Amino acid sequence: MRIDQRMTIYTAAELKPRLLAEIADSAVPSVDLSAVQEIDAAGLQLLLLARREAAAVGREFRILEPSECVREVLSLAAVSYMDSGPTSLGGPAT
Amino acid sequence: MNLDQAFETYVHESRDLLQQMEELLLEFSQGRSDPESVNALFRAAHTIKGSAGLFGLDGIVDFTHGVESVLDLVRDGAVPMTPDLAALLLECRDHMAGLVEAVAAGTELDDEALRTGAELQRQLGTYLGGEASAAQSPTAVVETGGSGVAGDEGYWHISVRFGRDVFRNGMDPLSFMRFLSTVGRIVAVTTLAHEIPAADEMDPESCYLGFEIGLVSAADQSTIEGVFDFVRDDCTLQILPPTSRAADYVALIEALPADEVRVGDLLVRCGAITEAQLEAALRIQGAEAAGIGDAAAQARLIGEILIAQKSVAPPVVEAALDKQKQLRDGKAQESRFIRVDADKLDRLINQIGELVIAGAGINLVAKRRGAADLLEAASVLGTLVEDVRDSALQLRMVPIGATFNRFQRVVHDVARDLNKDIALLINGGDTELDKTMVERIADPLMHLVRNAMDHGIEPTEVRVQNGKPARGTVKLNAYHDSGGIVIEVGDDGGGLKTDRIVAKAVSRGLIPEGAALTQREIHELIFEPGFSTASQINNLSGRGVGMDVVKSSVTDLRGTVEVDSREGEGTTIRIRLPLTLAIIDGFLVGVNDSVFVVPLDMVEECIEFTDAARTEARGREFVNLRGQVLPFIQIRDLFEIGGQPARRENILVVRYAGQRAGLVVDELLGEAQTVIKPLGKLFQKVRGIGGSTILGDGRVALIMDIPGLLRHVHGKATNREGASATALQ
Amino acid sequence: MAKTILVVDDSASLRQVVGIALKGAGYQVVEGCDGKDALTKLDGRSVNLIISDVNMPNMDGISFVKEVKKLPNYRFTPIIMLTTESLEAKMKEAQAAGAKAWVTKPFKPDQMLAAVAKLCLP
Repeated sequence: MRIDQRMTIYTAAELKPRLLAEIADSAVPSVDLSAVQEIDAAGLQLLLLARREAAAVGREFRILEPSECVREVLSLAAVSYMDSGPTSLGGPAT
Repeated sequence: MNLDQAFETYVHESRDLLQQMEELLLEFSQGRSDPESVNALFRAAHTIKGSAGLFGLDGIVDFTHGVESVLDLVRDGAVPMTPDLAALLLECRDHMAGLVEAVAAGTELDDEALRTGAELQRQLGTYLGGEASAAQSPTAVVETGGSGVAGDEGYWHISVRFGRDVFRNGMDPLSFMRFLSTVGRIVAVTTLAHEIPAADEMDPESCYLGFEIGLVSAADQSTIEGVFDFVRDDCTLQILPPTSRAADYVALIEALPADEVRVGDLLVRCGAITEAQLEAALRIQGAEAAGIGDAAAQARLIGEILIAQKSVAPPVVEAALDKQKQLRDGKAQESRFIRVDADKLDRLINQIGELVIAGAGINLVAKRRGAADLLEAASVLGTLVEDVRDSALQLRMVPIGATFNRFQRVVHDVARDLNKDIALLINGGDTELDKTMVERIADPLMHLVRNAMDHGIEPTEVRVQNGKPARGTVKLNAYHDSGGIVIEVGDDGGGLKTDRIVAKAVSRGLIPEGAALTQREIHELIFEPGFSTASQINNLSGRGVGMDVVKSSVTDLRGTVEVDSREGEGTTIRIRLPLTLAIIDGFLVGVNDSVFVVPLDMVEECIEFTDAARTEARGREFVNLRGQVLPFIQIRDLFEIGGQPARRENILVVRYAGQRAGLVVDELLGEAQTVIKPLGKLFQKVRGIGGSTILGDGRVALIMDIPGLLRHVHGKATNREGASATALQ
Repeated sequence: MAKTILVVDDSASLRQVVGIALKGAGYQVVEGCDGKDALTKLDGRSVNLIISDVNMPNMDGISFVKEVKKLPNYRFTPIIMLTTESLEAKMKEAQAAGAKAWVTKPFKPDQMLAAVAKLCLP
């Protein structure tokens, strides 16, 4: 799936069912975040929820092509994500 | 920031507001009053004060604060708006106008106006009923936004759990994290999402997040707490300052829903402990099972660890970060290491030893045959064998850091038992040496550290009396030096007291009364069997293990111990160890038919023992080496070899631990790799010989114990090596 | 994209000084002279933070906060209330309405910037 709006407290209620549906319906659940222009902790929280829910059914939830603001947040929160290439890890912001 | 225009706005605005106040107050003085007018009056004063503060106009802020406070009471109905009060407020308004015009003109109020202001404030104070005197300066109250810099950088651990309503209140926890990085450096973050309920029950607009944050900052506690001011009622916040104890971290970690594996991981990731410390902690756990350490004590001072880290500052912090990164790389990391049975490793090294000998044999044969091609092939082989040997030895090398870190706990526990305040500083933890050596040096180090704390560091009162910092310091240091490793155990305590050592040595019969000893020789006395400098027997020193045991343990490792002590300043015990026990680069010398090996890294130079020098040195035991006195040993005499000296003798100048001596030998035979074979039991106590080896042609050569020989040369006059030394002379 | 801050206060000089400080730090600033005026500025534009005085004519700060909380596109905007010690009761009211951050008057521009930075860096 692809999210092309902001991932914030304003859109969290709408995004939650979409993310859960992706996990339920897709054999390889993933989300393309290349078009996300704004993300806050509510958005981050949804990604963490999705990852946990996917793991609960034995799948890996992939975060694909995070946009710059998403990268900043993942790095700030030290949350790892799959990049297009090999595993890359978010380090702490310095 | 150009505020000129804004300032002009302020003056105009204040004039308008003062005008408004005047009109309202005149109405009040005629007995009219309605709530909205009181409110407007209050608002005017409030605005004048608020804006004055922005420009730093403290005079206006101070005075208007009183007016505002009284109007607030009127607004609440606590004080009635009487004509008298209206008249007073009118006078106050006039004074405010005077203040505003003064700042507008850039002048100061005259003395009379200042007196009027003070008098008006006093009168306003009577309405405020003492509790909030108008004279009180509100600027002092708001002085909370200072730089908050407290001094040195320290490691802070912040543990925060945000409340459910945080998002709804417009707060983004990530904003606080970003702001944190402006008051310090965030070195570690762990995001906690475990409070997120089951998907069905999870409210996407509620916040379930928490963070564990490692922050390196010079800010003070209130500044760091201040970051979370706006969510204070809406979060659980715990801040561990740099002086926190490990127990605080443990409590924090225990409050987390983490399994055991994760606890250590979390601590490392948050930088509360380094990976090496985690390793050390795990070892201590193991050691506890074996009876070392006190299981009840958990309170190691994190501050001490951090001071220790700080002593090697930025590179270490970077290294710690690298290590953290490696740790996150968990799986990749695991596959990079293979656990190997130490016995297998030893077998490999033994075999390489044999290979070295065999290679030397081929070389010898090639030389004898004069076969140039064979010689060349043998030389290539030799180089490769040398490389393989180095790599194999490297396999056995481990950093001494893990051993050092074990002492954090020891120092903490012992300091508590002794009721002393002692910090442990560690340096050179990444210095590598042979695994066997690391294992065997641990006990002597333990003894030295305990000794430094017990006998070295003075009681706190004494330290304070002597103008020293109340907290004592024990230092562990390791570094490479001329082909060996040096390990130092230092303290900043009282130093060795020479008169007491001499008195005790005399009473123990170790030295005759009135013996003339150098400072160094006196210090060496503490290594004598049974010698103890403790003035009282306690459970630390009363274990029957003395410095003599330390010395013999080190000697067994082909190492040496020396003392460096200054009375009142402290003591450093310096242990020198060879890097490895197995193979050395040797220099071969011949005396008559015997061949001896001298460790190459101790050879300084070779000189010819000329006839002239021989004549000059006759009857003495030293020669003149470029104007310096060089004591020498006749190897022929020392080992009672017999035979006639060669017509041309040579002197091999050796050096160890800053001391030099010459060894008089017949022939110089050149370099060779030497596999050390231990001497049989019978020869173990022979002075001057440290081991044996087999030469390429199958002959046995003895390896000279240069440190022992140097001690012999330099300590000849007052030689008291104790029972372990039986000289061969 | 620069962060936008809505500054609401009846004092033009305060808005001006705060505006200069915020712009200097890299924020965009929109001004409102009271609650009513400020609501008209919440017209669909992106606003990352609101700074509002408590005591203002026409519509005071508390009523303004309550109105903001009703706007679907602005209800989660962080709000800094400008308060004084003498307005503690008002402050509690504002917090209950959902404005959890505050700066105490009188303040220096730097103090305002520090408070703003905690909620949103430029």
